Amino acid sequence: MKTTIQKQDGNLIAILEGRLDTAAAQEAEKAMQPLYDCDGLDVVIDCTAMEYISSSGLRIFLGILKNAKAKGSHVYIKGISDDIRAVFAMTGFINLFEFK
Amino acid sequence: MGKKVTLDSHGEALMQQYRELRPSLELLAKEAYDLLSSALREQGIYVTAIEYRVKAEDSLAGKLELKGAKYKSIDDITDLVGMRVITFYTDEVDKVAAIAKSLFDIDWKESVDKRKLHQLDSFGYNSLHYICRMKSGGPRFELQMRTGLQHVWSTIEHDIRYKGDVKIPREYARQFSRLAGMLELIDDEFSRLRMVLTDYRRQIRSLVKDGQLDEVPLSVDSFRSYLDLAPFDRLNKRIAAVNQAEIYPVSLMPFLPVLESFGLVTLGDVQRFIEENSDEAYQLALSQLAVTDLDILSSSAALQYLCLVHVLKHDGGREGLKAIFDTINGESNANAVLADMMLEQAQTLPFMQRVGS
Repeated sequence: MKTTIQKQDGNLIAILEGRLDTAAAQEAEKAMQPLYDCDGLDVVIDCTAMEYISSSGLRIFLGILKNAKAKGSHVYIKGISDDIRAVFAMTGFINLFEFK
Repeated sequence: MGKKVTLDSHGEALMQQYRELRPSLELLAKEAYDLLSSALREQGIYVTAIEYRVKAEDSLAGKLELKGAKYKSIDDITDLVGMRVITFYTDEVDKVAAIAKSLFDIDWKESVDKRKLHQLDSFGYNSLHYICRMKSGGPRFELQMRTGLQHVWSTIEHDIRYKGDVKIPREYARQFSRLAGMLELIDDEFSRLRMVLTDYRRQIRSLVKDGQLDEVPLSVDSFRSYLDLAPFDRLNKRIAAVNQAEIYPVSLMPFLPVLESFGLVTLGDVQRFIEENSDEAYQLALSQLAVTDLDILSSSAALQYLCLVHVLKHDGGREGLKAIFDTINGESNANAVLADMMLEQAQTLPFMQRVGS
């Protein structure tokens, strides 16, 4: 699992590549810490190259969303595959996030 | 830049006293503001604004030029520190006043309820002014309390009436009064409307509590009260048990338009919708979640599966399923993919065999 954080056009962008499974979650969560400093910025999680998401991954996304909402920022999820979109749908989280 | 002001020696002496006092006035203003705003917060009174200021030097100079002789010492000027609370409703002005009475010593001789000063046949500036002192002592300060509409009227009136040197003719002054009368009426109507709606909400809550759901129209307020009964908890827990999942609380209000689109008119309809679809919703959730190790679920999962099943049982097909996702998640082509996936999963379930036959 590879996580890259960038600041671009007034957004904080996290590019996730690989499998966000339970084994990778701890490291990924640490790598995504900069997304918590999103005052005045929207957060974009680019999942174009993400292959899988586990419950631990969902929890990371939910934590980022909760923090961003409290600061008035949006969280956009970009480029998810149909399989990962299905995970969001079957767990009932599909309407919490904004998808690009 | 303000006009050049000429003060006599008494005026100059008062100005000097003011300059010496100014730092302590700043502290007083902040202290009084903090005390009042925290008391309002504790009492659950939400106002449109609380503001404070220390009188500016040029404003005081103007006042002293006009009527400096009236004041023996700087202590006689009661508005060096001014605070203003602007409320939403007229009855809240009295609530704020009651709180102010408990926090500060009020100088009743100097305080004015301008709301009561009008003649029966006139309207005008409506505001409650208290001259206060901190209970620990110190200089007096002015507290103005008014509604948002009173504030608008007063600000515009001040802007127009006192702007020029020309006295406003009687017919135009009367127009101000007519507008004030109209705003007073609107203020009262807003308060009345709020009271009616509060009563309505109370009735709805009581009907929901008594289980008389068929008598309660489905609306934002009633659905919110209904959710207090946790009507989806049982199904959520049943679904969560599939993977021993944690249930993550979210708002279910985005589903209200979906329920309305199903033609559900009362909370009784919603209750029947749950009873009639729960088993099938569980089957659908089970078919999807049992093959995963997902151990976190949104608290909207039960309601979402109920909606999906309702559509499937009523032959809503792919378009009906997509419409649910479009409603809760915004219109998108990706929702068609989700609809296809749900449809495919559902095809093998017993209730779909009955639908198809």
